[in-house]
Amino acid sequence: MDFLLDIKTAMLPEVIITFTILVCSVLCFMLKQEKQKFIYFISLLGVIISLISINLLAANKIFTGFYNSFSSDFFSILMRFLILSGTLFVIVMTKDYSFKFKHRQGEFYLLILIATLGGLLLSGANDLIMIFIALETLSLLSYALSGFLKKDKASNEAALKYLIFGGASSAVMLYGFSFLYGITGHTNLTEIIAYLTNNSSNMMFSFALLLTIAGFLFKVAGFPFHSWAPDVYEGAPVPVAAFLSTVSKVAGFAILIKFIGLAFNNTEAIGITLGLVALLTITVGNFMALNQVNIKRLMAYSSISQAGFVLIGFALLSYMGTSGAVYYLISYLVANLGAWLAITIFDTQTNKSLISDLNGIAYRNPYFATCFAVCLLSLAGIPVTVGFVAKFYLFHTIVQMGPAYLWLLIIALLNTILSLFYYLKVVKAMFVCKGADNGSKLNFNIGVLSTSFVFLTVLVVVLGVFVSPFINIARYSAVVIDNANTSAPVSVK
Amino acid sequence: MEFLSLNILIFAPLIVAGIILSPLFPNDEIIVRRFAKGFAGLLFIYSILFMIFFKPHEVGYQFKENIKLFSDANWIEPLGISLSFGVDGISIILVVLTTFLVMLALIASKKAITTKHKLYYSLILVLTTAILGMVTSRDLFLFFLFWELELIPMYFLISIWGTGKKEYSAMKFFLYTFFGSLFMLAGILALNYFHVINTGVSTFSIETLTYSRHYDIPFMFEALIFFGFFIAFAVKLPIVPLHTWLPNAHVDAPTPVSMLLAGILLKMGGYGLIRFNTQMLPEMIKIFAPILIVLGVINIIYAAFVALVQKDLKLLVAYSSISHMGFVLLGLGALNVAGISGAMFQMIAHGLISAGLFLVVGVIYLRTKTRTFSQLGGLGQVMPKAFYFTMLLALASLGLPLLIGFAAEVMIFYGAFTSDSLEGFVLSNQVMTGLAAISIIITAAYLLWMLQKVFMGNMFEKWQKTSDLTPHEAIALTFLSIPIVLFGLYPEGITSLFLPFVDNLVSHFTL
Repeated sequence: MDFLLDIKTAMLPEVIITFTILVCSVLCFMLKQEKQKFIYFISLLGVIISLISINLLAANKIFTGFYNSFSSDFFSILMRFLILSGTLFVIVMTKDYSFKFKHRQGEFYLLILIATLGGLLLSGANDLIMIFIALETLSLLSYALSGFLKKDKASNEAALKYLIFGGASSAVMLYGFSFLYGITGHTNLTEIIAYLTNNSSNMMFSFALLLTIAGFLFKVAGFPFHSWAPDVYEGAPVPVAAFLSTVSKVAGFAILIKFIGLAFNNTEAIGITLGLVALLTITVGNFMALNQVNIKRLMAYSSISQAGFVLIGFALLSYMGTSGAVYYLISYLVANLGAWLAITIFDTQTNKSLISDLNGIAYRNPYFATCFAVCLLSLAGIPVTVGFVAKFYLFHTIVQMGPAYLWLLIIALLNTILSLFYYLKVVKAMFVCKGADNGSKLNFNIGVLSTSFVFLTVLVVVLGVFVSPFINIARYSAVVIDNANTSAPVSVK
Repeated sequence: MEFLSLNILIFAPLIVAGIILSPLFPNDEIIVRRFAKGFAGLLFIYSILFMIFFKPHEVGYQFKENIKLFSDANWIEPLGISLSFGVDGISIILVVLTTFLVMLALIASKKAITTKHKLYYSLILVLTTAILGMVTSRDLFLFFLFWELELIPMYFLISIWGTGKKEYSAMKFFLYTFFGSLFMLAGILALNYFHVINTGVSTFSIETLTYSRHYDIPFMFEALIFFGFFIAFAVKLPIVPLHTWLPNAHVDAPTPVSMLLAGILLKMGGYGLIRFNTQMLPEMIKIFAPILIVLGVINIIYAAFVALVQKDLKLLVAYSSISHMGFVLLGLGALNVAGISGAMFQMIAHGLISAGLFLVVGVIYLRTKTRTFSQLGGLGQVMPKAFYFTMLLALASLGLPLLIGFAAEVMIFYGAFTSDSLEGFVLSNQVMTGLAAISIIITAAYLLWMLQKVFMGNMFEKWQKTSDLTPHEAIALTFLSIPIVLFGLYPEGITSLFLPFVDNLVSHFTL
């Protein structure tokens, strides 16, 4: 009965999602095409119940499941919460969009739920095998989702590109895993850590770690593995793009933090490498975003550069840095979801995605434009939004690390100006540029989409004012990560 | 909550902005404008009460407020950031100046703003909140937050209601200020870092970092912090060569926004220099005072010469602004009571005068649709009232005795002349003061020429039917003229507010 106990204490949300997946897959076959919308409600319900069930997990203790290959601690609970709430909004986004999927509506929810399951498992995975399985679950489903618009050329191209890049990076990651296993003789992370505390690390280990991290960098679209992102985001269905830039990224970061944790009491080389990767990610993302005319591509590059900011937190290889990264991740998730919701609403109703299509929309749809602007300004780091505080806190953590990290701070600061430029471009289009007189007026009446959009926008502002609880959460989860990696308790049931 | 609460003063404009924007509020231009104006009037009266009950001789902040969320002692407890406000000698006067000019800008908005009234008036009120928050915050983080917050309404105000290359100008203004503010952010974080490693407590409190800092920051870092703040404020003030955003922004902004920009926002640079560079880092300002003086003199002379050759009325006023802000630097660099209080006085004087001048420019532009000197001339015949007011403002600006500009310049020149902050430098204080004094002639030249080219001489036939000031404009200009004359005759009315503060400030240098 140990096994069932594990499930109750550690993996309740996963179980609920699995159950929902089973129900949905049966319904997919049973329901007629016009009734497939029902699956939308079922999947929404499943995610909400799963979100509620997270609160039932004990946050202050570490529980393991599947014979120690899955561990549920405060950090993983936080990440699973973020992933599930991200999925919730992604599913909401499909409400009006799903007509594009024609007769395969039900499948879409099935795929997205399985991908979410992969993300959930990834954020608690504690074993190399588990990590690989979870990551591949997430990845394979993401490939399928990107190509979900079967008749659409761009969507097919996106899927193929994503698949090829993804396959290559998985191979690199597995190569790293094989080294890790070869050096330590274990696949369980806890035992790998235990091995590391007893043995001094060597170059080989750093090399293996870097290979592994490269695989995860692909998931979060970090430099130099970012080039798939713009094409995929542009070609994939909008909710899928939103899924990739939020849920999938959070899952990638969740496992990345765990692995970075391995390097905490390790070499400086990894810190410097990651720092460089982070800075290049931000800079490349920003420079490429400057001249974009398509809002989806702009958001793709923007989310590349935002990921770079999170990576900065990791590069500090310390408890402080991790907390900065976690807080930034929360702020990024909220604001980015809001921005993607805006794009979904706009894309669904007008079928356009150029920035110039947004011209003058503020005077036709003031609430839509204001909410979108708030989300974008949060990404740019303008007060009073959560993005401002997150940037401030991240820079604060960099400075607390002392003068050695001054280079990180300076380049990150300069990049904030760059990013401001293109976010303002969208805001300018909405508020300043003159639109066509007969420009399309969006339907922004009270509904699930508009409500959740406004909710996210309010959240962006509220989180920007009520700051301390979330900084405390970020700090606490960083402590948990820190403890897991330094004290190394080997507990085999 | 007491009756005189800074929270109300700061956040009431924000709430009213929300009320105006809300869909329930009638979308009628007259109602929106009168409501906003009425509120601004009340806010001004309310801020006057603060000045009346302000006790100048107490050291430190008064009317302290500290908003707490949850059960924490501070706003953001983990970082030691507090949501705290307060006023002292130099901020109380800027608070009143802000509410005063906002009120006048709203009065002047009647003709200047013709579209999107709801958005316009609420943005002005958001701007008010940002500025009031900036001058009253007792926390570095809060100061920085308001500093950035102010950019958003300003960006929209210029880019939506402006003229000419408004989008370019608004973007330039935004990016320049943002660029500067990042240096300040680095400085703020560094101050916090050294506080943490020396005391183990994270704080951003201005009071703690100013009055109870008993440790030394390594010289190089303290200098970097100084320059971090300095660049942010140099962009804002502006100091040549970081001034190029200002002519663009002024020329393309609508008249009321120009008034606020010149009247208050430039003063934030001066305020920051006094509050942070001087008060918080006294050791550094002693070392870098020569830089301040040299830059100040360059500012004064360079901008005055540039103003001399302008063909556009608004550009001339904009460059005269830059030139006059140079006096603030000169006064600060003197590091004595006369110099610093002169700098402070100059900020007030220039706030009133430049707001008036920009208003007059707007009045002329509204009627003639041109600002080019070659197109104007002889307007005094048809616009006598505008002529009188402009003459008063121009004379105050060039420092005619018994007007407010004279009092400011005399204090600054006296302070700069008697100071010895340039000891060991190639040029003595006296030489630099002499150089700066040359500008008085240039200033007189370009302002009098301006008067001559616009109001005197022969008039084009097409301006024959130009109407004189409307009651709104006349009232706004009268309101501006009263303090210009009053405090020119009786400067002590203003100086008595901040003199004790400056005394206390200077006592730290002489120790």
